[in-house]
Amino acid sequence: MASGRRMFAVLLWRSLSVRAGRVGVALAALAVGAAVVSALLSLYLDIKVKMGEELRAYGANFVIAAADPAADGLDAAALARAVAAVPPERLVGASPALYGVVRLDQGNAVLAGVDFPGLRRVSPYWQVTGAWIGVAFDERNAMVGRRLADAMKVRPGDTLAVLGAGGAKAQVTVKGVVESGDAEDDQLFVSLPLAQRLLGRPGRADFAMLSVTVDGAAADALAAAIDAAAPGVSAKPIRRVSESDGVILDKIDGLMAVVAAFILVMTTLCVNATLTAMVAERAPEIGLAKALGADHRAIVAQFLGETALISVAGTLLGLVLGFGLAQLLGQAVFGAWVGFRPLVPPVTLAAAMATALAAAILPVRRAVKVAPARVLRGE
Amino acid sequence: MTAAVSLRASVEPARPVIELRGLGRSFGTVEALREVSFAIPSGAFVAIMGPSGSGKTTLLNLLSCLDRPTAGEYLLDGIPTAGMSEAEQARIRRERIGLVFQQFHLIPYLTALENLMLAQHYHSVADAAAARAALERVGLGHRAGHRPSQLSGGEQQRVCIARALINEPSLILADEPTGNLDEANETVVMDLFRQLHREGRTIVLVTHNPAFGEVAERTIRLAHGRVESDR
Repeated sequence: MASGRRMFAVLLWRSLSVRAGRVGVALAALAVGAAVVSALLSLYLDIKVKMGEELRAYGANFVIAAADPAADGLDAAALARAVAAVPPERLVGASPALYGVVRLDQGNAVLAGVDFPGLRRVSPYWQVTGAWIGVAFDERNAMVGRRLADAMKVRPGDTLAVLGAGGAKAQVTVKGVVESGDAEDDQLFVSLPLAQRLLGRPGRADFAMLSVTVDGAAADALAAAIDAAAPGVSAKPIRRVSESDGVILDKIDGLMAVVAAFILVMTTLCVNATLTAMVAERAPEIGLAKALGADHRAIVAQFLGETALISVAGTLLGLVLGFGLAQLLGQAVFGAWVGFRPLVPPVTLAAAMATALAAAILPVRRAVKVAPARVLRGE
Repeated sequence: MTAAVSLRASVEPARPVIELRGLGRSFGTVEALREVSFAIPSGAFVAIMGPSGSGKTTLLNLLSCLDRPTAGEYLLDGIPTAGMSEAEQARIRRERIGLVFQQFHLIPYLTALENLMLAQHYHSVADAAAARAALERVGLGHRAGHRPSQLSGGEQQRVCIARALINEPSLILADEPTGNLDEANETVVMDLFRQLHREGRTIVLVTHNPAFGEVAERTIRLAHGRVESDR
């Protein structure tokens, strides 16, 4: 015994399967639309993180220094308070820096005392031969800038004797040679406590470098918050990077929205053209349905049912294609894989359904207006 | 079902299924039908005949509520059809009228059985057993799973007749039901209509076929949109 629902399903399936060509065109249009929308949506949801990571690779975007330029740098406790004022979820990395001149066997060099784990997060773009120093309190190892290493002919594993202020001495092993393409290539890097001892400035740092995920006006607000949390310090965003960070993100967001809207409009037009052709071709069938007593609701249900079926199939296909496309774009633009976001399938399905239903409005109205007496006579 | 219909026909007084009062239909300045008035009682078998352009098809479209008159009144089962909404017209068609077409108008991608179930679906609920019984009644039980392209013209017309009967309408309207059939199939279809008439069905058919004029108990002749004769 066949139920009304089963008959409706048979009708939908048969009417679509006998028009495989036209249905294929509508399905392909929706699949392409869904693929582009889901890929862009995946990237949109990932892009803040990916772009942030990408821009962070260009170095610190915040500097914290003493508010009084005449002061002897920063007190370690004030520095800790300032860094603590940055929301942890926004703080990528932070490292203090203490600079001075020391004597090596083959001449003078600039010594930089740093927090190695923090510096590594602040400066991920540094090229290192050998290895990074993994802990902040390591006083036995050092890292050497590329030009300084070349001048002194040292390599990872070599030992250096360092003579500081007031006769302070240290012997360190070169663990890595760093290349930043900037002033760091001429410097010797040791842990902050060792630098403080060698330079005779215990508990002090000249400034701190921070990498923070923040842009535009939020950067100024964060600087003010740091200043308020740690009296005596002055936090400044490095405009060049932090503002461009926000501008680039906004532009990419806007561009993706425009592309998605354009694709959805094109999809709507394509599906509309296909459904219009299907209605014209099926006018006798619609006329017969009306002659048999089908009311407008039954005609609308038939066409919207078919449209919904095509939409769901097109969306499923589009989601698979879109995930692949997101990976291609993720690799090409960010050099990273784009993760699966649970929000993408429902949003893509909603967009595809809305597109298909918008495309179906005029064809369905045309179907409802079919005059059975005329089409059944073959007019 | 047959016995029930015969019993109904024998105990109920003949009341007009169709009642036309001064019916007219104009298309712009062209008057396709003018002042058509007649009544058809329940259980009657009426042939509407006339030359091409006499208004036969226009009249059939009005009787089947596929079109609206521009003048006069049409009562179906005593219900005035003027002023009905499209939804009410659709309800009248699915509940009270069974249509038989010259071109059969079967859905090509559905089987014979499913074509009948489609009419049930629009009426209420598709019932495969009832649809199969209706096909058996027109001698096509063995062709239930065949599509229209696999059936002869006569078989397609018999499916069309079975579809017209499936929802137990009070009126069967047929437009040139033998117009596309060869002589052998014409006889089969005419016999089928005779059988339906004997069961008490009210049948109105438009035809050029003089044989139907002999089979029908009443013939209404149209000429230039008017009733020329009614006997």
